[in-house]
Amino acid sequence: MNRLLSGASVGALALALSAATAAAQDLPGKFDGVTIDAKLIGGQQYEALYARIAEWQEATGATVNVVSKKNHFELDKEIKSDIATGTISWCVGSNHSSFAPQYPGIYADLAALLPQEEIDAFVPANIKASTLDGKLVMLPRAQFDVSALYYQKSLYEDEAKKAEFKEKYGYDLAPPDTWQEVSDQAKFFADPPQFYGTQFAGKEEAINGRFYEMVVAEGGEYLDAEGRPAFNSEAGVRALNWFVDLYKAKAVPAGTTNYLWDDLGQGFASGTVALNLDWPGWAGFFNDPESSKVAGNVGVKVQPKGSSGTRTGWSGHHGFSVTESCENKEAAASLVWWLTNEDSQKLEASAGPLPTRTAVWEWVVAEAEGDAYRQEVLKAFQQAAEHAFPVPQTPAWIEISNAVYPELQAAILGDKTAQQALDDAADEATMILEDAGEL
Amino acid sequence: MAGRPDGGTTRSREAKSGFLKPWKLPAPFLLLLPTFIVLAAVVVIPLLLSLYSSFTPFRLTRPDTIWTFIGLRNYERLFTDWDFWVAFGRTVLLLTFALNLEMILGLGLAMLVEKATRGQRILRTIMMFPMMFSPVLVGFQFKFMFNDNVGLINNALQSLGLTDRAIPWLIDGTLAFIAILVAEIWSSTAVFAIFILAGLMAMPREPLEAARVDGCTPWQTFRYVTWPFVMPFAFIAMTIRSLDIARAYDIVKIMTDGGPAKRTEILWTLIARTGYSDARMGLANAMAYFAIFLSILFTVIFFRKLAQARSQIGAEW
Amino acid sequence: MDINAAHSLKRAVLTAAHRIGLFLAMATICLPGLWIVLSSLRPTVEIMAKPPVWIPRELSFDAYVAMFSGVGQGGIPVLDYFRNSLIISVTSTVIALAIGMAGGYAFARYRFRWKTSIFLGFMLTRTVPGIALSLPLFFVYAKLGIIDTHFGLIMAYVALNVPFTVWLIDGFFRQVPKDLAEAAQIDGCTRWQAFWQVEFPLARPGIASAGIFAFLISWNEFALASQLTRSTNSKTLPVGLLDYTAEFTIDWRGMCALAVVMIVPALTLTFIVQKHLVSGLTSGAVKG
Repeated sequence: MNRLLSGASVGALALALSAATAAAQDLPGKFDGVTIDAKLIGGQQYEALYARIAEWQEATGATVNVVSKKNHFELDKEIKSDIATGTISWCVGSNHSSFAPQYPGIYADLAALLPQEEIDAFVPANIKASTLDGKLVMLPRAQFDVSALYYQKSLYEDEAKKAEFKEKYGYDLAPPDTWQEVSDQAKFFADPPQFYGTQFAGKEEAINGRFYEMVVAEGGEYLDAEGRPAFNSEAGVRALNWFVDLYKAKAVPAGTTNYLWDDLGQGFASGTVALNLDWPGWAGFFNDPESSKVAGNVGVKVQPKGSSGTRTGWSGHHGFSVTESCENKEAAASLVWWLTNEDSQKLEASAGPLPTRTAVWEWVVAEAEGDAYRQEVLKAFQQAAEHAFPVPQTPAWIEISNAVYPELQAAILGDKTAQQALDDAADEATMILEDAGEL
Repeated sequence: MAGRPDGGTTRSREAKSGFLKPWKLPAPFLLLLPTFIVLAAVVVIPLLLSLYSSFTPFRLTRPDTIWTFIGLRNYERLFTDWDFWVAFGRTVLLLTFALNLEMILGLGLAMLVEKATRGQRILRTIMMFPMMFSPVLVGFQFKFMFNDNVGLINNALQSLGLTDRAIPWLIDGTLAFIAILVAEIWSSTAVFAIFILAGLMAMPREPLEAARVDGCTPWQTFRYVTWPFVMPFAFIAMTIRSLDIARAYDIVKIMTDGGPAKRTEILWTLIARTGYSDARMGLANAMAYFAIFLSILFTVIFFRKLAQARSQIGAEW
Repeated sequence: MDINAAHSLKRAVLTAAHRIGLFLAMATICLPGLWIVLSSLRPTVEIMAKPPVWIPRELSFDAYVAMFSGVGQGGIPVLDYFRNSLIISVTSTVIALAIGMAGGYAFARYRFRWKTSIFLGFMLTRTVPGIALSLPLFFVYAKLGIIDTHFGLIMAYVALNVPFTVWLIDGFFRQVPKDLAEAAQIDGCTRWQAFWQVEFPLARPGIASAGIFAFLISWNEFALASQLTRSTNSKTLPVGLLDYTAEFTIDWRGMCALAVVMIVPALTLTFIVQKHLVSGLTSGAVKG
């Protein structure tokens, strides 16, 4: 790591010396009298970081004017409205890897504004997911999301259950490593309406994302190399049938097709669900006796793999972008860097979210020394991160999601067969891509 | 709009009052001017904009598309879109059920409160309690209550031994429709109740006394004395609600967002998703015009009924 | 005697039935609300529990303390939101009432051409769902530069409320007999004086109820506010509710606490104003 870093900094130094521009500026730099308008994501989990803006203002002499603070879906609406009305008057905006492909044109390439060694300090996969058409459109903050498998430990310590399971399925009962095992165990543990084997998010981008990662784990593709919908393949049908099968077997709550993330989190915390593929943000919540009945009984494991041997790993991360229309891009880039630098990431990561800088990963793991649960969580998510992949980078991703998810629901609820639903969804998705001029 | 003061023979005094003399413009015009200005600025101009955009393939993320004129293509597309018409029909159904049930319940509630001899202030305030809840909040609240696994309703039913199943309230098409209806009715019955209550309270006592003296049964009294008097109030409430029911969008959006598998899709959730999430504002605006047309239809129906009801109990009401 | 006894028995049964009915109705109305209040005071583990915890084991004001404890420590800028909501709702209500009184008076007291059509036209502006209005309105506001200002939202709410303030006030002015004002004018009052001294007091309950409606609608409106407000400059409480949702999580307890903060002032105001709703309506003197 160190070798890599110093190599990169030598390179950057040489570049800076020859170009003698502000590119190798001493971050955060000096920007007296500059005002930066910023649109930030709101919500408790994200706010602690913004306290550090004051320090940046002091260090640089610039002022930050927060013009908007909303949750991501509202912010997405707002940014689209701004694009539509041509009123992008702000400089720094919160961004998200799943939304970013929708508006590639409005953000500047940060690689040209910041020294290379700073960019190299991030986890390469995160930088890759932040790069669209060769442009680094955002710098990831310590809000990286990939799912791992949470489970109730006590279920795996009951000898009678173990014996019964072994007899029924022919292998030992242990926290699952494949989605087939998840399916077996979910059915085995389920006792509706008192207790359910597992659950899944059932609507909007959530179910589509889960389906997407399952298609990948089954060895299929969501969009093929040319960008055509390819999820109605055999692998796609296998992937969708995994959901259908669990729903039919009543191993998941009947309401699961209406669940979003909050329902899932509350459900697992209520102690009525055995296995739960979920995001890192819940780790603290699940193990807090104030909020969760399963506190002290939570195990976390890397997400299982599909029949192709690939693990699921749909991921996303939050970040900050600088707009093309910004008058003072250096100052804006400096703010973006500040909000994602080591100290900022440490601040955010210490509260639970996952970092996106290599050095901060090492730091949080070291910090967790002595806290067995936290260590288990970090270990699982660090592994999970290795298998992470972002959504297909098409501007139409959200639109495709909106067309596909009702079809997925129709298959899960038994209105259509999996093949039929996927064929219909593929038709609609193709039409959307054609309308958008991408095919 | 040339104003003409009420100059009939019996009311000639008004014209003589001199109120109009200092003004060049007729009084009603001046009095209505502020309304015109506000509504034009905030509603009509934006609406013309959106009408225009419904003839374009306007996408939020590609602002230039607003200059492409495609005529009626968006509308043609909607005419052949089965999902759209299902959503349209469901919206009509929801409107009809919600408005009628709210009126009946509101009437009952208002009569209960009116009859109470003590604690009127408290009762009236409680009656309006649901109106204090933002629809967003009502959505979350009922979503959690109708949750099949840990929701209040299923927990209560299971604790009382009425069922041992987890009833999938928000999944089954009919049940989800009922759940949404319950949330909607809970949050809006108060509007009817308060109007009808105002009507009941403004009602003269003499006809009631007369009916009692004539030996009418309570039902007859209600049917022939109370109801005709209260009806205009009920229709005012009905019309206001039919104008306003798009507020149900917030509730439906949070409770089911039209799902699962489009089982609870209504016009407004469809419009919002198409317009913002899919960014296809042109198409969404075309849909919105259908929705507006629908509300206009409902409003005009109730407005006529209102006019009828008014004329029944005397033009001067 | 027998008839009397039967009569009083019937009466007692009716009274009891009425009380029970009233109690049930009020309970149905209150329960979901009380559930919210309760949820704001209980730890999440008890709210979403299975088997359910019916009797709270512990109550605490943690959520309220957290809410006010400042941004970054689990708090939200609740005071800013509150101030914005109050300014916007009160101002827009007052303006909507003033405009509504002018318009309502015109409809109730004058005859002019196309009266019914104009009236219906006003009402129909209300049929436009907020979701369809939000973007074009944003367009206009963006050009005028009044996004994220109190003024912009006040204008929007005035327009939202004017149709039915006009309508309601029209209805109540119609109930005030014309003769009263005319009599006052004969006694030497100007029309202006006659309006304020005779007609206005009599129409006050109508104006009060129109006011309550306008206020509550502005106080709770979400669709337009979420589009036209952006920062603490103008964000209102309903939009603030969403501060408790993050991408994957929702703090239901915190949201409930904020909801209580939202409901209490609205409830108080309703309680106060509804007195006026009564005072003008006593014993149907108006019609007599």
